[in-house]
Amino acid sequence: MSTPAIVVKNLVKTFGSRLRPIRAVDDLTFSVQRGSIFGLLGPNGAGKTTTLRIMTTLARPGGGTVDVLGYDVVKAPLEVRRRIGVVIQDQAADLLLNVRDNLLTFARFHGRAGPPVRDRAERVMTQFGIADVADRKVQDLSGGIRRRVQVAKMFMIDVPIIFLDEFSSGMDAILKRSVMAMLRAEAAAGRTIVLTTQILSEAEELCDDILIINHGRRVARGSVHTLKELVGRLHEVTITFDRIPPELETIVAGYAPERVVVQHNTMQLQLRDEEPRILELVSALGRHGRIQHLEITGASLEDVFVQLTQQPAPSGIERPSLQRAGDRRSNVPGD
Amino acid sequence: MMTYPLAAVLVREAKIRATNSLFIFWDLVYPLGYLLVFGIGVNASLGFTSGLAGVDYNAFFLAGVLGMASFGIASNTSWSFFLDRDNGIFYEMLTYPMRRWEHLLGKVLFNTLVGLVQALLTIVLATALLRIPVRFDRLPLLVAATLVGTAGWFFFYAIFALRIRRNDAYNTVTSVFYFVFLFASSMFYPLDPLPRVFRIAAFANPITWQIDVLRYATIGVGDAVSITVEAIAFILFSAVAFAAAIRALRDAG
Repeated sequence: MSTPAIVVKNLVKTFGSRLRPIRAVDDLTFSVQRGSIFGLLGPNGAGKTTTLRIMTTLARPGGGTVDVLGYDVVKAPLEVRRRIGVVIQDQAADLLLNVRDNLLTFARFHGRAGPPVRDRAERVMTQFGIADVADRKVQDLSGGIRRRVQVAKMFMIDVPIIFLDEFSSGMDAILKRSVMAMLRAEAAAGRTIVLTTQILSEAEELCDDILIINHGRRVARGSVHTLKELVGRLHEVTITFDRIPPELETIVAGYAPERVVVQHNTMQLQLRDEEPRILELVSALGRHGRIQHLEITGASLEDVFVQLTQQPAPSGIERPSLQRAGDRRSNVPGD
Repeated sequence: MMTYPLAAVLVREAKIRATNSLFIFWDLVYPLGYLLVFGIGVNASLGFTSGLAGVDYNAFFLAGVLGMASFGIASNTSWSFFLDRDNGIFYEMLTYPMRRWEHLLGKVLFNTLVGLVQALLTIVLATALLRIPVRFDRLPLLVAATLVGTAGWFFFYAIFALRIRRNDAYNTVTSVFYFVFLFASSMFYPLDPLPRVFRIAAFANPITWQIDVLRYATIGVGDAVSITVEAIAFILFSAVAFAAAIRALRDAG
């Protein structure tokens, strides 16, 4: 088995004053396999961006070590930078340069110049739908286009690791799908991709391996499938009736749902139970009302994420306020 | 040999400045305007003399304009750190494969060339239009003083540009610097007739050291020993500013 692309050991990063330190990253340990798409997920303030900043040499760790392709980010930052491409969370483009020069300048920083690079720039601009604005200064373009330029730059070089912090913000659905396909192709070709995102469906679709962190600490780790197993037996049931049966509340209450939302003639349920019991409920509801549409799905990554990140904060650590499980509204008629 | 990151920063700066006419105006034209409007105005209208035998005000002020251009170009270049930070590209660039000193040096390298072009334009204008007797035999010293001067002031300004987060605060700092450094110096007038406190402040001002060297290089005013001391002092000032600027850049990310 090949050595991991990234090894993070006991990483600590503290902000704030000496009297009131805030541990943004708190003894975090993980590794990222080569050629994988690794998702670093967590709620706002969980420590994702700080961890990413340390891995990309933008911030120094307060404790612990981070090795990128065998190079320590503190002892050999230049060697690390030679092997990574980074899309930071904020928009980052040279506003006073045109689109083409943005791509060429980025490539030049990585030691790439000349006709082949210019040809590659044309191809990348076409892929990202920015070829028609190639000669326009980025300051004259919209935020979405600027983000495209920022992400497009990563396809100008062949560094082994790409870090993407919220890469899809400002992208329309079509472009996002296209970029995701390109990222998958890059990973298949051996590139390691590390991404953070708030859009969990994106992570679910892209990532081979996911680390969920909260309060700077590891909460869960594994493939999407593994993570779903952690919350176990969770099902989402959506039923549309021709009209809501009067006995609905009574029938549903017997199955102890975790969440019930009724809107017009559609009911959405979240249940933690075995599949036969779910089917039994559907069958019972079918006897009291005419079902027009039925959909049963397992837990989404979002469900897993919400469940896993709602653990209480360790004492002495500041945490962002989170919605508690009990805060969820139940909209069962008469509730 | 120039490293490719250094070359990349240089090309980037060149593209940004060469394709934006406002930069060209501030870097190249503005100091010439000072020489023509202020220099000729004072010389002709007020009959002002430099106080030095055989040196009219235009000739005296020539080194002041060259120093002002260095100072202004350095200030504009350091402000580009703010522009980069606002655009987000500053932090992305810190992840590029280059050392911090390459980032800093690359940024100023193109601008020292701009400073040199500006200085040569000023000399041509001064010779052709104002008939100032420029010492062309000391041109190498003028080139060196312009290059080191522009770089030194950029490193000095970069410390503040990298430490200060707010654009308005930085603009206030540069405005104060502009006033204090330029007026408490030998840029606009000879120092000898000034009150003692003023003179001490001016002699402690690095721009006085640079302008005295430039004045020696352009019209031959000053003695070689004191000019050498001032030149060494300015080089030391630049070296300290460079070290402090690198530290500020390392702390930035």
